[in-house]
Amino acid sequence: MPKTEMTYIDAIRSGLDHLLKDHKDVVVYGQDVGAFGGAFKATLGLQEKYGTDRVFDTPISESAILGSAIGMAMQGLRPIVEVQFVDFITTAFHQILNNAGTTYYRTKIPVPMTVRAPCGGGFGGGPFHSEELENFFCHIPGIKVVYPAYPSDARGLLYSAVLDPNPVIFLENKFLYRRIKEFILPKGEAVPIGVAQIRRTGNDAVILTYGAMVHESLHAAEQISAEGFEVMVVDLRTLKPYDIDAILSAVAATNRVMVVHEAWKTGGFGAELAALVAEHAFHLLDAPIVRITAPDCPVPFSPELERVYRPSVEKISEALLDLINY
Amino acid sequence: MNSQATKKIKTNTSVNIWLRILKTMFLGRLTEERLVRLYHQGKIFGGVYTGIGQEAIGAVSAHIGTPDDLYAPAIRNVTVHLGRGTKVLDVFRQYLGRVTGPTRGRDGNVHYGEMDKGVFAMVSHMGAMLSVLVGGVMARRRLGKSTMGFAYIGDGASSTGDFHEALNFASVFDVPILFMIENNHYAYSTPKEFQYRCQSLVEKACGYGMEGLEVDGNDVIKLYDQIKIILEKIRKNNRPVLLVCDTMRMRGHGEHDDASYVPKELLLKYKEKDPIHLLKKHLLNNDFACEQDLKKLEKECLDEINQSYKKALSEPMPSPDDLLEGVYAED
Repeated sequence: MPKTEMTYIDAIRSGLDHLLKDHKDVVVYGQDVGAFGGAFKATLGLQEKYGTDRVFDTPISESAILGSAIGMAMQGLRPIVEVQFVDFITTAFHQILNNAGTTYYRTKIPVPMTVRAPCGGGFGGGPFHSEELENFFCHIPGIKVVYPAYPSDARGLLYSAVLDPNPVIFLENKFLYRRIKEFILPKGEAVPIGVAQIRRTGNDAVILTYGAMVHESLHAAEQISAEGFEVMVVDLRTLKPYDIDAILSAVAATNRVMVVHEAWKTGGFGAELAALVAEHAFHLLDAPIVRITAPDCPVPFSPELERVYRPSVEKISEALLDLINY
Repeated sequence: MNSQATKKIKTNTSVNIWLRILKTMFLGRLTEERLVRLYHQGKIFGGVYTGIGQEAIGAVSAHIGTPDDLYAPAIRNVTVHLGRGTKVLDVFRQYLGRVTGPTRGRDGNVHYGEMDKGVFAMVSHMGAMLSVLVGGVMARRRLGKSTMGFAYIGDGASSTGDFHEALNFASVFDVPILFMIENNHYAYSTPKEFQYRCQSLVEKACGYGMEGLEVDGNDVIKLYDQIKIILEKIRKNNRPVLLVCDTMRMRGHGEHDDASYVPKELLLKYKEKDPIHLLKKHLLNNDFACEQDLKKLEKECLDEINQSYKKALSEPMPSPDDLLEGVYAED
């Protein structure tokens, strides 16, 4: 089967298409996802192909979107809902925390729902269209959280998320939607939830990262390779449950750890990773763990401000040299 | 000999259903009275939240649905659970945190459901179950069933954003649901005057483009007739309807609350309108039942309750070893 070039958003659309085709219990809904094809065109053409019964628009009612998806999932459908921007999920947070997260534990009724939520900044989206909220979800028992960085993973993890019997928060990075391309098979395989991927090998340090920051980290690693240092980059792909074995092996192989993410620093996912390494691999560390994250301030609008807000290749490579030369 | 017993007992097509409703109300009332005692005896973990005085709404609607219908009961709807066939024993197990109960000790008091009986287990967040029910009904209909839904909330929950989102959603998607607001005058300590400023909550219906009706929520006969007519319409038109039921919370928010903020006259007024009393009176005055029959029915319920709570008390708690079992569903 010949491979075709797909962007990150193409791969998501392709995944939705295959899921709708192969699984009659899949429905796709959310704001503007019908004839319009979604704010980012992830669902373009799907309503035409599968009908208004299976791909449909909703009122601006995040809580009813998520609540109804929970009800549908409990009755045997596999709803995939799109929250237009992850920022807007906050008005429906209780449905994820209290309903989706606790239902199976309390009642033994599975909730196989998938919530797609575009995240991240870098395009002048300002405070309410650029947030990175992964850690809010990772904190919740009963919820799984995935965050792909490549088209093949976006589609493969979408397959796994939708077929998983649990609620899965599927985080997509808007900055990557049209910037990252890959030659992939027309359908491809599911990518298992909970398995990290080493994107670059190296023994001088390891960067633990995910989402858009995988790409920034790879660029930074290439930059300092010219200076003779080789840095491993681990793309976590799943944030809950995250791949503890892969992380600890990477730490053992490098002894120097950097965490990079686009979300805020305090209580961010990097804090979880740093704590894991400190708990289980303290004796392996040759230097303090470094966290490169957004600072604790709202996502700024002006490009001049966002440039310094968002972790950059320069910031990462500079910090890598400090870490390696500690 | 009791003069009643010599009377000829009449019947009509509704008598059997009225008697079933009465039995469910007896079971609900007597179960909760026992729960209150167990609470004051220190045998209950957490609180006890009763629907005493409000049994009619749940009992009537539970008996009027079909096996395919879905229910999202709220805090005061023990009669929904019992009317759909949940055993009194399971109610006690739930309150007593037993591993044998519907949530196996993972959740308490009113947070249980029985999906095989079409009943969702509520979360505490007022209004949050409404859209879950909307989705559930949409799904079942997609899967080929002629399901409709029954939703229950109080006057307090009608102030939530979730109420608005769910009713609007159901209307936009033509989801056949009977949304029942049980206006029991108080949300914890807050009187209804601080929840809304419309004349009646039924006015909210027109904003969602759905029909809205009001009914005396304590009068089983009126409720039954009214709901029956509404259901025919809902099933025929596939449209949601809002039904505002006037009733009264006769005890505190929970048993920890003496409800001293509720005027005595209000409680007295509704004591006269006690739904069990009203139905019994109707049955006796019209010779649809005799005093002895009703006493016998009540006694049967009481016996079941006494056996059930004792049995539940003797059953095991969950094992601490199982704390982490089933946080996630396995493939």
